[in-house]
Amino acid sequence: MAQSSKGKLNYRCPMCFFRDLDIDMFYDKDKQEYYCLRCQYTGDEKDVLAKNELIRMKYGKMMERITDFD
Amino acid sequence: MNNTFAVNIIHRPEMVPEYAEKVTGQGKAEDIGRKALLTESLDIFKFQQATAHKNGLKTTIQMTYASLFNEEAIQLAKDDHEKYGDEIALSLLGLPCKEFREKYNTKDFCIWMFSMEDKMQIVDDVFGKFHEIFGFYPESTGSYYMDAELTNYIKEKYPSVKCAVATCWEEGPKAYHTCNNSWYTLFDGGPWNPWIPSKQNTHAPAANEAEDSGIVAIPHLSRDLLACYDGNGSNFGTHPQNVLRGMIYDSKTWEFPYFYNLVDQYRHLEKFNNGYSYNMMFVGPGWLNKMGRWEAPYELLKKSYEEGMAYYGDLKKEGKLVDMTMAEFADFYRANKEYTEPECALWKDILYGSDKQLFWYADPYMRAQINMDQGGALVDLRPYAAKLKWEVGIGTKHVQDASYPFLIQEKYRAGYFTHYAGEGTVRSAKISYNGEEVDLCLCRTHAKFKQDGKARKLILDPVEIEFDDLTVKLQTIITFEEGASNIKFERNILEMSNPNAEVTINEYMVACYGTTEYPEDMTGITLTVAGDGKSESIDYAYKCREAEICGGNAASAVIPAIETAVSMTTDMTDAKAYIREGYAFSPMFTLGIEKKVKDKEVVTTWLNLAKAN
Repeated sequence: MAQSSKGKLNYRCPMCFFRDLDIDMFYDKDKQEYYCLRCQYTGDEKDVLAKNELIRMKYGKMMERITDFD
Repeated sequence: MNNTFAVNIIHRPEMVPEYAEKVTGQGKAEDIGRKALLTESLDIFKFQQATAHKNGLKTTIQMTYASLFNEEAIQLAKDDHEKYGDEIALSLLGLPCKEFREKYNTKDFCIWMFSMEDKMQIVDDVFGKFHEIFGFYPESTGSYYMDAELTNYIKEKYPSVKCAVATCWEEGPKAYHTCNNSWYTLFDGGPWNPWIPSKQNTHAPAANEAEDSGIVAIPHLSRDLLACYDGNGSNFGTHPQNVLRGMIYDSKTWEFPYFYNLVDQYRHLEKFNNGYSYNMMFVGPGWLNKMGRWEAPYELLKKSYEEGMAYYGDLKKEGKLVDMTMAEFADFYRANKEYTEPECALWKDILYGSDKQLFWYADPYMRAQINMDQGGALVDLRPYAAKLKWEVGIGTKHVQDASYPFLIQEKYRAGYFTHYAGEGTVRSAKISYNGEEVDLCLCRTHAKFKQDGKARKLILDPVEIEFDDLTVKLQTIITFEEGASNIKFERNILEMSNPNAEVTINEYMVACYGTTEYPEDMTGITLTVAGDGKSESIDYAYKCREAEICGGNAASAVIPAIETAVSMTTDMTDAKAYIREGYAFSPMFTLGIEKKVKDKEVVTTWLNLAKAN
């Protein structure tokens, strides 16, 4: 089994991001999946991107342009 | 200074950008002299400069030590100074390069962490090299943090320096955790907007000329004053790539309105600061990596930088922004600010949709946060009045920890809510009636800001407290008197459903001291309650003791470890003052003043801070 490497972009572990941790994942080309060194998350690129969308649910006003600050 | 939104745009030609070697060099043996790395770094710097100039903005070029060995970087700086009026300054970031490693035999790169001896040697080295190349000494410098001893040395030896990037706001344990406990920038507790640091402690603003360090400090970025307090600072700042790091953008359209909201809320702060507001943008080249960063491809990194800068450019064209170099800003600041003038920020949530509102206050005596979502509770307090000498770096007691200690910090010491037992740090009030008790921390409200001469008032919307057979309408007014080193809390009983009822208001402060989430030894703290010609003290020994004086008007604590005295006082003659020691599972102390009141009456107390030698 060959060693893992960073993927084409440095995807972070979405599960760790949920708990405010930035952990770059590594890519296992044999299993074709990203995995986290710290927690138990594994997933392919599609799953990582889907989880990243879930992360955004905490930003309720992320896309709102605010003009009233009072 | 009315309606002046001052903006500093800063770039640094960092030949070995932070992250770049770790990220783009993954799978390669470390080589910080790689030609590809150097070329890419300069390309990023050129792109940043061109983007600012395209939008009609001048910059401050902070030359790094490494860039002083690079002819092209030097020429670029000279050309842009000539053509656009950019300031050529000198950063103490960006030390890593082949020459530095060979000379100092270390991989350390954070100037505040070196020994004092090394700090002086490095400063002389980089300032000397800068002078050799440009023929003058810089007017501006900086790092992520500049400790007071470092600043004092620089100012004494190189008096031309008048401005420095001196801290990253609330970059402490939270950032450390986010980086998997591997990013040692521990400096919570400073001001969020520019200030004049004291000679004793960088975080604490100077109260007068004698304390003046001689520089104007600016923060590294302008941070979200709510999001950064409970999250990773590097996700929520006027740094477009920070916003991408936080994933605060639409992954399909690549739009990121939050960035503009953040800039605009900073502009809004002019309402609380005599017409002045400020922003700083300082993106290190590592964030514009050609290989992409934080899931974002280079195209998105580039787009965000261009659009962020374009927004500043548009504001300038509309006459709503004044771009300044750091040195120009220092002159502007000194011409328009007085030592004791506070920095105020009534700040609302612009990201999560919570409707929460905070008030931040900083002056030479304290930094405080009032949380309107907790009924106006004081949830963060840094006693700058102590002007604590806190040396950092190798050879000191604090090699990495440069935070200004807190007395209250609701995230690191629980605040109102604790698990099962014990208390958390907070300064609030409890209202009791017939065996029922309600803490104002549970009375969510909002506030308006009012300035009356030298007093900054926070006038909270009234709240209703419902007991079984009584409703009390209460309004809190919190006043910060300039130069007074205290906070006045007034609780006004506006209305009671039974006008003849009597309720008890218990004004309290639970506090401790520290810089991280972990408890410190409370031994050595002395608690005293006084008034009515009596006085009683408790030497802290975790014994859960209490003392009270009916007719007392002061409860105080002296905390030798941070040379701080804090007290709660009142001018009421018929109140009860009390002190409470904590215990091992609750390493806190409580100061309080309790008073029975009727309809239309007011309870007034002051929280006072002083240096305790």
